[in-house]
Amino acid sequence: MNRKLAVALAAVITLAACGSSSDDAAPATDAAVETDAPVETDAPVETDAPVETDAPVETEAPVETEAPVETDPPSDGILHVPEDFAAIQDAVDAAAPGDLILVSPGTYNEAVNVVTDEITIRGTDRAGVVLDGEFELDNGVRVLGAKGVVVENLTAQNYTSNGVFFTSSVGYRASYITAIRNGDYGVYAFDSINGQIDNSYGAGSPDAGFYIGQCFPCDSLINNVISEHNGLGYSGTNSGGNLVIMNSTFRNNRAGVVPNSGSYELCYPERDTTVVGNIVHSNNQADTPAIDVALLAMGNGIVAPGGIDNLITKNLVFDHDKTGIALVPFLEEGANDDLPTPDEWEIGCAEQREEPPADEIPESLLWEAQNNSVTLNVVSDSRVADIAVEGVSMATEELGNCFGGNTITNTAPANLESLAPCDGEGSGDWTVGVLNVLGWLIDVENAPPSIDYQIAELPDPPELENMPDAETAPAVPATNIVVDIDVDAIDVPAAPAG
Amino acid sequence: MGWAGRRRIIGALVAASALLAACGSSAAETNAGGDPDPERRGPQGRVAQFVVECELSHLAYDDPIVLPWQAGKSHLHMFFGNRAVNSDPGYNERMLSAETSCDQRRDTASYWAPALLNAEGNVIEPLKMSAYYRPGHGVDPAEVVPYPEGFMMVGGDSTAQKTQSSDIVAWSCGTGAARNDAPTQCPDGTSLRLIIVFPDCWDGERLTTFGASAHVRYSSFDNEGGCPEAHPVPLPQLTIGIDYPPVDPTGLSLASGDITTGHADFWNVWDQAKLEGEVAMCINRDLVCGVTS
Repeated sequence: MNRKLAVALAAVITLAACGSSSDDAAPATDAAVETDAPVETDAPVETDAPVETDAPVETEAPVETEAPVETDPPSDGILHVPEDFAAIQDAVDAAAPGDLILVSPGTYNEAVNVVTDEITIRGTDRAGVVLDGEFELDNGVRVLGAKGVVVENLTAQNYTSNGVFFTSSVGYRASYITAIRNGDYGVYAFDSINGQIDNSYGAGSPDAGFYIGQCFPCDSLINNVISEHNGLGYSGTNSGGNLVIMNSTFRNNRAGVVPNSGSYELCYPERDTTVVGNIVHSNNQADTPAIDVALLAMGNGIVAPGGIDNLITKNLVFDHDKTGIALVPFLEEGANDDLPTPDEWEIGCAEQREEPPADEIPESLLWEAQNNSVTLNVVSDSRVADIAVEGVSMATEELGNCFGGNTITNTAPANLESLAPCDGEGSGDWTVGVLNVLGWLIDVENAPPSIDYQIAELPDPPELENMPDAETAPAVPATNIVVDIDVDAIDVPAAPAG
Repeated sequence: MGWAGRRRIIGALVAASALLAACGSSAAETNAGGDPDPERRGPQGRVAQFVVECELSHLAYDDPIVLPWQAGKSHLHMFFGNRAVNSDPGYNERMLSAETSCDQRRDTASYWAPALLNAEGNVIEPLKMSAYYRPGHGVDPAEVVPYPEGFMMVGGDSTAQKTQSSDIVAWSCGTGAARNDAPTQCPDGTSLRLIIVFPDCWDGERLTTFGASAHVRYSSFDNEGGCPEAHPVPLPQLTIGIDYPPVDPTGLSLASGDITTGHADFWNVWDQAKLEGEVAMCINRDLVCGVTS
């Protein structure tokens, strides 16, 4: 694509990302005559008389229990809530590494912070143990740098930020979690490695139902989750390195699976993520909450804006207004560093953290999707193309992406598997049937606006399994998460019933 | 009475005392002085922080720090956060029980800045404000303490007649690293952002010196880091970014005067327990508890 088109595309992308700008000018003001310069004022004589009040102060403790509070954990390492501890936070604070906090059914209006390594927080009933932020509390469970923590078999809903949040955690696991109607993400892992998110459900978040970001190598796994009615089914900014997203369903979001690059957070670019064996369909949902990027990516199944070295294979992808699988650039206005060169792609997160940003930082960056492999997927019913690729600052044929063995009807450019096969030299005309990302990005200006996450209509959750033997199974801290997936052993999933 | 209630009474008394004491203070100081921190550049995620994003709450010709109890006497301010703030500086139940315009519902603090005006003198409404709480440069994150209840401070100098340090007051496009002395034409899809960095070292005694800022200083990066001797208490370094639509920068001014008069005010009316928790969990533990885009 030529430079002129790139500029035009940039303009469209940025326009699209902006949404409607406001020209609503408030009434003219009187000329400013006062300044904030220190002003000799009459000595204030008013004081605020102490207000005798016992006005109720909201706490983050559960409100529905009045159980006695123990200060010493039981010797068997199992801390029962609310039987032994009135609040989950009380039990967490009393727990020692290796302990199991077993939470009985009830509604807990808590925002739980975890700083103790290797504890497990488990509900005895996934649907019945409900952490509810009531749109006032920020995170259902927030794990802050603690290692090996497990959160499992519970529901986290109505939080202003996230249902379950891990930050800077080495070793983590979220299993059998139901995360609904949370203000940023359902389950969110940031700057964390050696983790696993499995058997979970995320719905109704404006960003993503599930997110793993700012890690390389992540050595992490998402397995058997359902993500629906979010802005994005999955998002992962600047993550990768033995990061596998598998055997999951991403449906009825604005966009499905969206690994992406950007310099606004560390560990760029996004690279080396494997997306395998998933069902990704109908990600055109117009009535969800959605951040700007979700509006931009709407109508795509698996799209990797600026993604590098990813393997997208054996997924069943269908019913998308734009593309089933797309490798497209991401324009980042307001850059925070320069683009990493290919020899810097392998630099780990820890090393990059120590590197200062470039002395000269461009105003914008164009992250191209490069060196990705798209193989053995079954893609259908895509209104623009089943599989698509396009470069802007680089010629599309020079991006190094390859395609092979997919069951598809159409591609953009046409005959993509002949143009860029994964085995052997490609041939053909790259100018035939190009994606014309410019054309469909214009659509975003007319995209249905985001719906407030607090009121967006959501489907009833599907039947969701309880963790087996939740009341009796021993705690297993997430200290030995090993991600060693045999991609060859995974098949394209069967179409869902109905 | 519960502990929280007693704390509030103590806080109100301290605030009132501080206000009265400060009334006799010199008006000569117009900024926090000291060597400002070097500007933060580069991606979020490298430095510990917790963040809050707020919509515009209201506009008013009030300033409870600089012109307390003088309703309508200030230049026009945009207020974010606490919806009840006016010219009354009382740290009291009226303020503590007020609603907030912030996504962090326990952040009932108040943040305000002069209104941005176009060439015709009309107010340009902001899109949002982001508040970043981080350890200052050269400060041990574990040593940072929360703002005391009722604490007030000003970042930037409303009387500046020449460009202020871009380490304290700057204009950018969105969250990009580039910092400019004056507004520029930002691309569509981004925002015009006013950045204000607040002082982060406290004398440990006074809750406010009105607009004088004698009670606070910036941590110094060429003083081997950390806080100066007379202001030894490290506070979170608050940086706010106020985002506006990417308007034509020609003729822009602030309600306080020329574009060089960029400044902002902060009044700690946070739910104190929540603030203390965020400082302890995020800054003291040197963790990133959130990012903004």
